[in-house]
Amino acid sequence: MKKFLLFILKISIVLVVVAVALDFGFTTIYKQSKSRGKIDYVFNSSARKYDVVILGSSRANNHFVSDLFEKQGLKTFNYGMSGGHLFEASLLLKLMIERKYEIKNVILEADLNLSNDQQSEGVSAKYLPYLHSSETVRKHFENEKDFNELYYIPFYRYLKFETRIGIRETFFTAIQKKSKLILNGGYYSLGETKGNMKNNITKLKPLPHNKYYEEIKALCKANNIHFIAIMTPMCENVTGMNYFDKVHKAYPEIHNYENVVVENKYFSSCGHMNDEGARLFTNNIIHDFFKSKK
Amino acid sequence: MFFNSLTFAVFLPIVFVLYWFVFNKTKSSQNLLLILASYYFYSCWDWRFLFLLVFSTFLDYYTGIQIEKNKNEKIRKFWFWLSIGINLGLLAVFKYYNFFASSFATLLSDFGLKSSPFLLDVVLPVGISFYTFHGLSYVIDIYYKRIKAEYNFVDYSLFVSYFPLLVAGPIERATHLLPQVKIKRTFDYEKAKQGAYQFIWGLVKKVVIADTCATYANAIFDNYTQMNSWSLVLGAVYFAFQIYGDFSGYSAMALGMSKLFGMDLLRNFNYPYFSRDIAEFWRRWHISLSSWFRDYLYIPLGGSKGSKSKQVRNVFIIFVVSGFWHGANWTYLAWGFINALYFLPLLLRNKNRSNMEMVQLQWNFASAKEILHIFYTFALACLAWIFFRAKSITDAVLYIKRIFTEGNFSSQYLTNERYNYELLLMIALFVVVEWNNRFKEEPLSGKNSWLKVALAIAAIVALGTYSDYKEFIYFQF
Repeated sequence: MKKFLLFILKISIVLVVVAVALDFGFTTIYKQSKSRGKIDYVFNSSARKYDVVILGSSRANNHFVSDLFEKQGLKTFNYGMSGGHLFEASLLLKLMIERKYEIKNVILEADLNLSNDQQSEGVSAKYLPYLHSSETVRKHFENEKDFNELYYIPFYRYLKFETRIGIRETFFTAIQKKSKLILNGGYYSLGETKGNMKNNITKLKPLPHNKYYEEIKALCKANNIHFIAIMTPMCENVTGMNYFDKVHKAYPEIHNYENVVVENKYFSSCGHMNDEGARLFTNNIIHDFFKSKK
Repeated sequence: MFFNSLTFAVFLPIVFVLYWFVFNKTKSSQNLLLILASYYFYSCWDWRFLFLLVFSTFLDYYTGIQIEKNKNEKIRKFWFWLSIGINLGLLAVFKYYNFFASSFATLLSDFGLKSSPFLLDVVLPVGISFYTFHGLSYVIDIYYKRIKAEYNFVDYSLFVSYFPLLVAGPIERATHLLPQVKIKRTFDYEKAKQGAYQFIWGLVKKVVIADTCATYANAIFDNYTQMNSWSLVLGAVYFAFQIYGDFSGYSAMALGMSKLFGMDLLRNFNYPYFSRDIAEFWRRWHISLSSWFRDYLYIPLGGSKGSKSKQVRNVFIIFVVSGFWHGANWTYLAWGFINALYFLPLLLRNKNRSNMEMVQLQWNFASAKEILHIFYTFALACLAWIFFRAKSITDAVLYIKRIFTEGNFSSQYLTNERYNYELLLMIALFVVVEWNNRFKEEPLSGKNSWLKVALAIAAIVALGTYSDYKEFIYFQF
């Protein structure tokens, strides 16, 4: 029996060694990455200068056309992340500030995402390779319920989120396979193909004090960044549109642009405009916030 | 509680330590612990079905004794048929009633008669097909005086409920497992080590091969109307490896962990995809079920004795019943029927027992022919698996039709956000490992075993699929 217990102990040691070695290997690869997505694009960068930085979810990513800002002479990057919540947007801004980015304006898409202050696991997983390399990332995650497992068990984060940061993504990162996410100034245009053109948001309620919205606002204030929060459009067939009034009531500083683009022909799905709609919308934003100032 | 879950990773060491350090004094204490652990294990799915398991155990225990004790043939027959009737009745109620009721209603509606069948709102108790078959074989063997009845209820209960085999087999025989239950087990280092290797390799098959193949197979089968020919072919191949990795992985884990408790279970898989004809495939796939049907259905029906027409009838009966054992759906029946069709030419030409040994290759024409036969048999198996996996026979037929009519053999992006061909390299590697170790139960033992264990662990950790968790396919049967 002693011999067998020793055998099991050896297997356990092999397991730990393999996990540590794989963790080290994967993390090293992610620390070299600069072109797989917006998170590594920021994390592994040094100081950049921007006139406009756009943050938010896919409703930022698909709605703010960076080129249109650039045409006005405004150096812009759309850091909106599909599926992301304000949890991830806030951390991205923290990392930019830590890397001494010079940012004049932050446009934050703040509407449906105000209804929760949870992380979006699919997106936040992309930060996890940097959990041990960055105090900022560690602190941002330390109150999450699975933090201890993610932080202390070697390789657990890569295993738990294998579809996001597992072997396949690590391989593509290692061979530096280019991703579309950072092309076109981070803007990702949607086509004419119609998705679901109905939406029911009656159950959504904006949190009265969304932790990460307040955090982004405070970060901008502390770093002299002009903060512009914007509600972006939805299609015609939405039930529960008074949500946007509730947002306005809770956060009067958020500019309501929900009804700037209305017709369904400008939408790819109910919550996402197509390229034509996005251009129409972006021109409105530029006109109201930037041209008038010039 | 699945074998590849974290709760099981806690459960197994606790039982192991209690078994060898606390309850190790006598055979009875060992068996008592395993029974308690097995009942706890089973109740983790649904404690209500524990009553069914205990009832089924008691039924066969009691009828077994009655059959043996009574010399009067009529009374023996009564107890025998009572046990068979109740066992099959339980299966019929929980597994097949709704299928027959709704199929009958469909049949009536085809004749223009409307009916609203009474359907039972019951969940299929996990493992019912397996432990019912344990009990059936036990009672049949006693009735035909092949074995003696077991008078110790704890020992008999352990034979039926032993947790490594409780929910998905292998389907054990009293002649094989009961003698092991009847003696005190002493710890055997080599056996336990072999068991650990087998368990690890089973885990590789499950989380690396089966679960990864599942994400591709599901993406293809669930959207087959949008898939091109190449994706559909790959979908069938991926499902073939999914079900093989899943079930043979489970079996390997069951056999491996049983060795940790000093007991050997029946081997359930013997590299079936290296078979050269479908008869060999069925001698290597789900061996405990195939041999069960052979011994308790095929041979009593006459087996390969009698006229050719009788033999053909027997083959069709055994394959269709075997298909139906898997589930109450026409697709399983079709799968069994197709396998019977595959078997038919071999039977008619008396070639069904021509490949009894594991294939061995040399650099000659005969070996090239053997390789072709392996590919051909695998293709036939994949074609049949389409029926097994599809939601309906119509879906299966349309799937196959689309393979031949769509005509596009390019790479295709799937709904699991992967390209259809991406798994081929991993499957090829798996096949090479299995091929090189086809004369052993698992590939980890032997030379450089520590390196192989480290690689297997690395594969489990780095290549396994965890985020889209899948339970074992055979639990539903």
